[in-house]
Amino acid sequence: MDPSKLAITTVGIIGAGQGGTAMLEALVNLPHVRLVGITDRNPRALGLKIATYHQIPTPLHPLELIQNPQVQLLIDVTGDPSMASTIVRYKPQQTEVLEGAGAKVLWDFIQQSTMIQAQLFQAEKLAGFGTFASGIAHDINNPLYVILAMAENIQEESDRENICQYAVSIHEAAQRIHAISKNITQYARASQTQGAVTVDLHAKLDEALTIARFATKFHEITIQKHYQGTPQVFAKPEEVLQIFVNLMTNAIHAMEGKGHLVLTTGQQNGLTHVSITDTGCGIPSENLQKIFDPFFTTKAHGMGTGLGLYNVRTILRKYHGDLTIESEVGKGTTFHLIFPSTPSIEPVPHVPNSLSSH
Amino acid sequence: MPEGTAAMFGGHSTNGRVLVVDDETDVRKVVRMTLEKSGYDVIEAEDGEQAIQEINKGENPLMLDCIISDIRMPKINGVEAINYFKQNYPHVPLIVLTGFPDTEMATGFMKQGIVDYLVKPVEKQKLTTAVAKAMEQREINRL
Repeated sequence: MDPSKLAITTVGIIGAGQGGTAMLEALVNLPHVRLVGITDRNPRALGLKIATYHQIPTPLHPLELIQNPQVQLLIDVTGDPSMASTIVRYKPQQTEVLEGAGAKVLWDFIQQSTMIQAQLFQAEKLAGFGTFASGIAHDINNPLYVILAMAENIQEESDRENICQYAVSIHEAAQRIHAISKNITQYARASQTQGAVTVDLHAKLDEALTIARFATKFHEITIQKHYQGTPQVFAKPEEVLQIFVNLMTNAIHAMEGKGHLVLTTGQQNGLTHVSITDTGCGIPSENLQKIFDPFFTTKAHGMGTGLGLYNVRTILRKYHGDLTIESEVGKGTTFHLIFPSTPSIEPVPHVPNSLSSH
Repeated sequence: MPEGTAAMFGGHSTNGRVLVVDDETDVRKVVRMTLEKSGYDVIEAEDGEQAIQEINKGENPLMLDCIISDIRMPKINGVEAINYFKQNYPHVPLIVLTGFPDTEMATGFMKQGIVDYLVKPVEKQKLTTAVAKAMEQREINRL
C-alpha cells in the first residue's frame, strides 16, 4: 500500500506529564497524524510547553478536547479512573479511545525506542570520533617524529651549525603540533556549549572544513565557496557543526581524495539555503531512497554506523529545516539544506529523552 | 665523522640504496640521517609520482634495494604508489612509514607482502632493523 494514500488520523492527548510528553514527541513527527490538542490539569506541565512550541492547541479543560468532534483518537495517559469515566460520558460516539494498559504499553514502547535512538546517536558520534582521532594522530605523529629524531641527532652532533638547523626543525614541528592542539580545543569547547544561540552559518561551514580536514584525505581537493550575505540560524552551535562536518566528510570520502568541494549559501523567502556539492562517485538511484534510513551504510563494517545522514536530517527537522539530495553516478552529489532564517525560530525547550546531544 | 657520509656524494654505497617517499621534507631528512648513519645510500621523493619518475630516470631501477613510503601524500598517494612498485618492481622490498596507527591497514599491507608497517614516530633501531630485513629480502629476491 502506498503510504502517501493513508488517511490522516486526528489525535488528542490527555495528560502532558512524562507519558503525554513522550507520546507527543513520538506523534508530532508522524506524517499521517495530526495532533488536535493536548491537555493537563497542571498548566505548567512540560508537554504543554512543547505543544505550544509546535503550535499545537493546549485547551485548559480536558472536556474541550474530549468533546471535540474533530478528534478521531483520544489517548489518555493519566491512568486516572475518574478521567476514564468522564471520557466515556462526554466523548462523541465515533471517537476512539486508547487508555489504561493500551496507553501504558504504547508509552513504554516509545520510551524504549527513544532510548535506543539516543544510544545509537552516541555510537555514531563515537564512530565519527574514531576517524577524527586517527586524523589528528597522523597530523601529530609526523612533527612528533621530526622532534624526537632531531633531538637524538643533536645529542650525537658536535657541529654547531648542524645543531642549529636541527633545532629550527624541532621548533617548526612543535609549532605545528601547537596549531593542531588549538584547533582541537576549539572543537571541544564548541561541543560543550549548552542551548541554542544565534549561529553564523559561514563561520560554522569554515570550522567544519578544518575538522573534516582531520577526518579525511584532503590533499587533492579544491574548495570553492560561494557565500552570500550573512545567514544566521538560532540553533545549538555543535549541532550545526555536526551537520556540516558529517556532510563534508561524506562528500570528501566520495571523492576519494581528489575533486572539487563547492559550498554555496543563499537566502530566499525567509529561508536560508546551504548546499554542499562534491564531484565524487555519486549515489546510485536505488541507494538514494535508502540514504536517510537509519543503519543504511555503504562503508565497510566498523567504518560507520549508517546513522550519519539520518541524524543530520533529524537535527535539521528539529529546527524546522530539511535536507534533500541530488546525485548522478560518476558526476557527484549535492546536499541541499534548508534552514529557517532567524529570527523566525525560537529556542527548543529542554526535552528529556530527545535526540539532542549532551 | 659520521658513517656513510660518502654515500651523500652519490655512488652505490656499501649497504644498499633506499628510496624514501614522504611529502614532508623534515621527515625525509630525518629518515635520511638515520639511514646514512647505518651506511645506506638515500634517494628522496615527495610523492608517488616523483618516486616513479625517480625510479625510471634512466638509472637502472634494479639498483634500488628498498623503498620506504608514506601512504597519505598528494598526487599519487602511497597506496597507489605501493601497488605500482609491487607490480613493476616486485623484487624491491617495501616498507610503509606512516602517521596512521591503523591495525587493519597494516594487516592489509603485510598480506600484500611488505616488509614492515612502521608508525611515526619510529625508533631509530626499529627503522634500521626493518631496512636490514628488507636488504636480506632483497638478497633472496636477487637469487
